Amino acid sequence: MSIIASAFSRLSLHQTFHRSFTTSSVVALSVTPILCGEPLKKKKKIDPAIIKQREDRKRKKLEKQIRRLEKNARQLKPIDEMEVPLSLIDEKDKRTRPLPKLTAEVVERRALLEKSWARYQLQEKLRDYKIIDRVQRAQQKALQELRFESKELYDQAIQIDPNLVPIHVDGPTATPAIDNYESPDGEYVNISKKWD
Amino acid sequence: MLKRAVKTFLSHSTSHRVKCAATNAATIDQSNNKWDLYAGVLVERLPVITKSLNKIEQEYLDHLKQLEFEQSSKSDFEMRDEKDKLIAQLSQKGKHDDVDTALQQTAQDLKDAWKDELHQFQLGPRTTEADHKNDVKSTNRKLEETLFLLVEQRLGEEKVMLLPQGKRVNGETMRQTAERVLKENCGDDIDVMFYGNAPCGFYKWKYPSAIRGETVGAKLFFYRASHKKGNVIEKETHFQWLDKVELEEKLPKEYAQSVSQFLL
Repeated sequence: MSIIASAFSRLSLHQTFHRSFTTSSVVALSVTPILCGEPLKKKKKIDPAIIKQREDRKRKKLEKQIRRLEKNARQLKPIDEMEVPLSLIDEKDKRTRPLPKLTAEVVERRALLEKSWARYQLQEKLRDYKIIDRVQRAQQKALQELRFESKELYDQAIQIDPNLVPIHVDGPTATPAIDNYESPDGEYVNISKKWD
Repeated sequence: MLKRAVKTFLSHSTSHRVKCAATNAATIDQSNNKWDLYAGVLVERLPVITKSLNKIEQEYLDHLKQLEFEQSSKSDFEMRDEKDKLIAQLSQKGKHDDVDTALQQTAQDLKDAWKDELHQFQLGPRTTEADHKNDVKSTNRKLEETLFLLVEQRLGEEKVMLLPQGKRVNGETMRQTAERVLKENCGDDIDVMFYGNAPCGFYKWKYPSAIRGETVGAKLFFYRASHKKGNVIEKETHFQWLDKVELEEKLPKEYAQSVSQFLL
């Protein structure tokens, strides 16, 4: 009964008057869904050929982007220092040294020198291995003896010495450092590039 | 050659194993005896300058330099030098008479100036005063070699040159003993860096039966240390800095054998 009343009330011009009855949940009246109800919109029908065309276009666009990305990935960032200056390429003939052709004797001597150098290096390497072996053996023996004397001392001996890391050692130089040498203030130009 | 090397390596390792087994057996046999524990310190003064090249190294170095020269192309400076020389030649003949070029600094002038500058600079000498005087107390001798510190030690009645050593007292680790021993033998001036807590070598000797007390002998554990700065305070002890060859001559024979096991 009330539903019909409210439905008609929309037609009425005097809305204020009509709203005098309540639709709160206490009365368990539910009017809105029906009031707001309206017929569904009719779905537009698109030609399946056009849909296909659109999808194709989308796919092609994506493929193109991917191709462009792949192409760029292969292209590395240029390193200026690695590029041979054009002037060097142009003046290649002028810049090559006029060298006399190597005689067979010189070639032979060089080959022999290379061989004897290889032999020498092998000997040096083996010598190094032997030394390392010997020193390790000496240490193992010392540790073994220490362990035999006292387990406690042995345990203390195999602890890592934290003072040794990081270690700083100045290597041998060609000539010894000059005592009390004051190095002159040099000038330098910073040529490192700034990348923004 | 390689075969031979492998063979020697193998024979080394087997003999090593046998030796280890032998020492194990020996130590077990003596398990009832008590030994004094000693710590010794091998102080090395590492090489300050690079080793002189031997014959083949020198030859190969020259060879590499020659190859480098042959394979390189002319630098900008060389090009300029050649150009300057050409101009000079032309102007001598009177064909190219230009005041500007005559006044300009040529590449040759620059080269000469740089050479002068280099000659004026005095490099540190590779042989020092201590070498000329053969002063074995200086750490500044034989810069190419590793030097080792020997200190006079009293063994019973006699005095022998040995690595600084001393007896461990209760409550010390071997490393602490080594540090203390070095201080006691050489004073506070010398500054060294110990290489870790583990000993690097070992030597033992038995006391003569006349003076043998509770202990049969001494076991000496060597610690390796590298010299940083300072020297032994001279009043306190007699000492020497020797290279490997001199060291092995100076030390008592058996002792030298043990020490040479862990010399590099």
